[in-house]
Amino acid sequence: MSAHTHRVAGHRLPRRDGVGKVTGKHVYAADFKLPGMLYGRVLRSTRAHALIKKIDTSRAAAMAGVRGIITSADIPQIRYGTAVRDTTVFATDRALFTGHAIAAVAATSLEIAERALAAIEVEYEDLPPLFDPEEALKSDIRIHPDWETYKALPIISRNRNIAGQARIRVGDAEAAFAKAHKVYEHRFSTALQHPGYTEPRVATADWDANGIVTVWCNTQLPFDTQTTLAEILDLPAARVRVTVPGIGGGFGGKLRIGVEHFAALLARKTARPVKVMSTSEEELTAALPRQASIVLLKTAVDKEGHLLARSGRIIVDCGAYAGSGPGTAAIALQVMAGPYKTGALAFESIAVYTNKVHSGSFRAPAGPMANFAMECQIDMIAKDLGLDPLEMRLRNVVKEGDPGPSGEIHRSVSIEECLRKAADAIGWHDRNPEPGRGKGIACSWWMTTGGSSGVYVKINPDGSATLVSGAVEIGTGAITGAAQVLAEELSLDLTDINVTGVDTQAAPFDFGAQGSRTTFSVGNACLAAASELRRQMFELAAKQLEAPIEDMKLQDKHVVAGNKSISIAELARISRLAGGGLIAHGTAISPAPAYDPTRVQNHPLPVWNTPSYHAHAVDLSVDQATGKVTINRYVVAQDVGYAINPTYIEGQIEGGVAQGIGQALSEEIVYQDGCVMNANLTDYKMPTAMDVPEIESIIVECRSAAGPYGAKGVGEPPCIEPPAAIGNAIAAATGCWPNSLPMTAEKIAAAMQVQHS
Amino acid sequence: MNRKILNIVVNGESHQVLIEPHWTLLQVLRNEIGMMGTKENCLEAECGVCTVLLDGKAINSCILLAAQVEGCSVTTIEGIGDPEHLHPLQEAFIECGAVQCGYCIPGMILTAKSFLDENPGCRPSRDEIREAIAGTLCRCTGYRKIIDAVATAADRIALSGAKQ
Repeated sequence: MSAHTHRVAGHRLPRRDGVGKVTGKHVYAADFKLPGMLYGRVLRSTRAHALIKKIDTSRAAAMAGVRGIITSADIPQIRYGTAVRDTTVFATDRALFTGHAIAAVAATSLEIAERALAAIEVEYEDLPPLFDPEEALKSDIRIHPDWETYKALPIISRNRNIAGQARIRVGDAEAAFAKAHKVYEHRFSTALQHPGYTEPRVATADWDANGIVTVWCNTQLPFDTQTTLAEILDLPAARVRVTVPGIGGGFGGKLRIGVEHFAALLARKTARPVKVMSTSEEELTAALPRQASIVLLKTAVDKEGHLLARSGRIIVDCGAYAGSGPGTAAIALQVMAGPYKTGALAFESIAVYTNKVHSGSFRAPAGPMANFAMECQIDMIAKDLGLDPLEMRLRNVVKEGDPGPSGEIHRSVSIEECLRKAADAIGWHDRNPEPGRGKGIACSWWMTTGGSSGVYVKINPDGSATLVSGAVEIGTGAITGAAQVLAEELSLDLTDINVTGVDTQAAPFDFGAQGSRTTFSVGNACLAAASELRRQMFELAAKQLEAPIEDMKLQDKHVVAGNKSISIAELARISRLAGGGLIAHGTAISPAPAYDPTRVQNHPLPVWNTPSYHAHAVDLSVDQATGKVTINRYVVAQDVGYAINPTYIEGQIEGGVAQGIGQALSEEIVYQDGCVMNANLTDYKMPTAMDVPEIESIIVECRSAAGPYGAKGVGEPPCIEPPAAIGNAIAAATGCWPNSLPMTAEKIAAAMQVQHS
Repeated sequence: MNRKILNIVVNGESHQVLIEPHWTLLQVLRNEIGMMGTKENCLEAECGVCTVLLDGKAINSCILLAAQVEGCSVTTIEGIGDPEHLHPLQEAFIECGAVQCGYCIPGMILTAKSFLDENPGCRPSRDEIREAIAGTLCRCTGYRKIIDAVATAADRIALSGAKQ
C-alpha cells in the first residue's frame, strides 16, 4: 500500500480521547477513588545527609483517624533500580537528601495524615554532605558506603560515588588534536529541570481476597511498575496488577515508580484502599527531574572548519540514587557526536551521586544538555574562523551511508534538508536585522527507542475493532496514531477503533510510553495484528464466498473477491458462532542495528535505532539593559519519517520546544545548602502562554525502513535543540555566550556588562 | 467537627452540602458533589487546572473557601456541554488539536469562556487570548493550538451572535 493513497493514516483526524477530555469525563488517576479509601502522606527528611538515630511514631499512631504508619523497619529490605539497584522505599539508616522518604501515614483524611506527619519525631545526626558533583568525584565521603554490595546491570561500570561511566572512542583523537589548525575547549553547565506534568504522581492501591494488589496510577510504564512493585512487595509479578485510568502528562518523569509503592504498602498495612498523591512541594523536591550536568568539550578543526576530532566529558548529577543517570549520561555521548562526520572521538560520561534529589529520564534524557554544549561550540568555532554557522554545519553533517559514532550506518539521512529548511524559514540571510536582535540555529539527531510491543485486536460483531495495548496514551496522540495504522490496514474508519484502558493483567506486554517509540512500535504491532486478522477473515470468507484467498482484499469494511463480497461485521458474527471470534495477537520489536562494539564501552544504549534528524532556528531580541530575551520567531524542521497524524506531530513539536524554552531561559530547581529554594510553581518558572512564541513546524518526511509506513520517533526530539539554538541567537544578538542554563536575564546582563567593561 | 450547611448551585442544580470550615470549593466540587472534571494540582492557585466559573467569572477553586460561596452559582466543565452537545469551545479544542494529556483543558476552556463572555461578540486578537489564558499552565501543547481553538470558537460564537 503506498502512503499517498492512505485513507486514515497521514490525515489530521481528531484523537480518540478528545471528547472525554474536553467534557471532563476522561478519568485520570487523580480522579480515582474507592469506598472506604484512606489518604496516605509521606514524611520527608529535613536533612541533606544524616544518620537517622530514632523514628518515634507513637504520638502519631495514637491520633484519631490514623490507621497505619510504616517506616523502613516495617517493610521488606529490598534495593531496586534500573541500572543500579541502590534505591530503597524509605531512608534506611541514613537520609541521603532533603526530601528523602522517612515514613508514610494512612489516615481517614488528608488533614489527619498531615497532622500525623508533624507528630512523628525523627532524630538525626548530620553527616558532611556532598552537593557539588565535581567535588563528589574527588571526595572521600561516600554517599553509598556499601555501593560495592549493590547489584547492577553488568554493563554498568561503577566506582565509589560514580554510579556509571561510559566511553565512546573512535580513531586517534590525540593525534588529530596534535596536528589540528585550531583546538577549542569550553565548559558548559545545565540545571535540574522538573518535567512539569500538570497531574501530580498519584496512586490508589487495594488488596483483594486472593492477595492480589491492584494499583490505579499514572505511570508511563505499567509493566516496569508492576515488576518493581513485585520486588518491593516481595511478591510474584502476577500478584501485582497495575492499571492506568488516565494520565495528565509524563514527559519521562513518570517512568519509574513514584508513589505507587507507598500506596501499596500502606494498603497492605491497613487492609484498606489507600490513595497517595504528591504535593507540589514533593514534586519539586522529591520527584524525578532532569539531571543537572557539566559538559567539557574540546574540538579540533582544520582551516575550512571541518571537525577533525572531539573529546569531552559529561558529568551528570544523579542525586542520591542512580535512577536513570548512568544511561542518561551515556546517551549524551551520541548526542555530543551529533549528526556530524568527525575524524576522531574520545567521549566519556560520568554519572555521580550527590546529596540532592534523585533524578529521572525527562524527555530526551541528556539530549538538550549535550546538544547545548556541542552546538554552541560549533557556533563559537564558526565565529572564530569567520564562517557562517550554517555553512560550518553543512560542511560537517553526515550523509547517507556515513558511519555513526558506534560504527553503525546512517540511513534515511535528512539533516541537510532540515538545516536548509529551518534556515530559509527564519530568514538566515539576514542574521542581525537590528541591534540587540539575532538569529541562531542548532541541529541534532535522536533515536527511536526499541523494546517490544504486543497488541490484541478483536473484531466486534458490528464490524468495529477493539485494540488492547499495554501502552499508555500519555497525551501525545500516540495511541490515536497506532489506531490510524490499524484502521488503515483493516479498511475501517478511525472511529471504528475502540481502545481499552491499560491493565497489566489483561494487556499484552509493551515496553512503555517512553523513548519516542509508542506510535512507532505499537503501530508496527498493529500492522502485524491486522495481517493476522486478514488471514483469518480471508480463510473464513473463502468458505462463505467460495472464492480463492489470493483474489481477496479488504475494501471499505468488506472482504472483496472479484464481484463477491462479505462485510467484516458478518465475518465477525460467523466466527463468533463457529470459531471463537476474530482476534489476533500482533507483536513488534526493532532489533538494534549492527555496530562496532570496540568503539563503545560500558554503555547501556550502545547504538541508536532508527534515528531522526532535525534543526531549529530562532529569531530573538535581547533587552540591552536587563538581558531579558523575547523570542520573535521559532522554526523547527523535523524529520518524522512519515507523518501518521500531522496535527499531533505539530503538537509534539510545539510542546517540546516550549519545554526547551523553559530549560533555556527560566527553569531551574534551585538548591542552596541542600534545600530546594523554589518548591512551588510560582518560583519554579515554567513558560506560560505569554512566554512561548507561535512555533512554526516544518515536517520533513524521509522514510525509515523500520517504522509503520516509514515513520520515525517524534516525541522527544523537539526539546533537544532549544537551549543551543537560543544560546546561539543570544550570542548573535549580544556577542556573548551564556554557557550555563538557564540563560536568565541576570546571567545575560552580567555577561553583557563584562563584555562592555 | 464544626460542619455547616452550604447552599450552592452547580451547573444549574441546587445542592445542600455539609462542609467543614477549611474546605475549599475544589474539595466540595470533587469530593462532595462529584464534579471530577475540575482538576487538582498545585492547590496554591499557581497552575489554573482547578478553574471554575463563579457567577460566570473564572476563579481558582483550590484557594477559595467553600464557605465563601454560599448562595453562589458555579459552572464546571460538565456544565457547559456534554459529548452530544459540545460547547463551541469544546468543539474547537478537539478540532484544532489543542488537547494532549488534557489535564489542564477543563480549566483552560473555562478560563477562555469567562474571557469571551466578558467581551461578548468580540473577536480577540491572538495576543489578547494569550494574555487571557496565561494563568493556566499547559506543559503539553506550547499553547499555539489552544490559542487557535479559542480564536476559532470566538469567531463562531461571534458569528452565531450576529445571526441572532
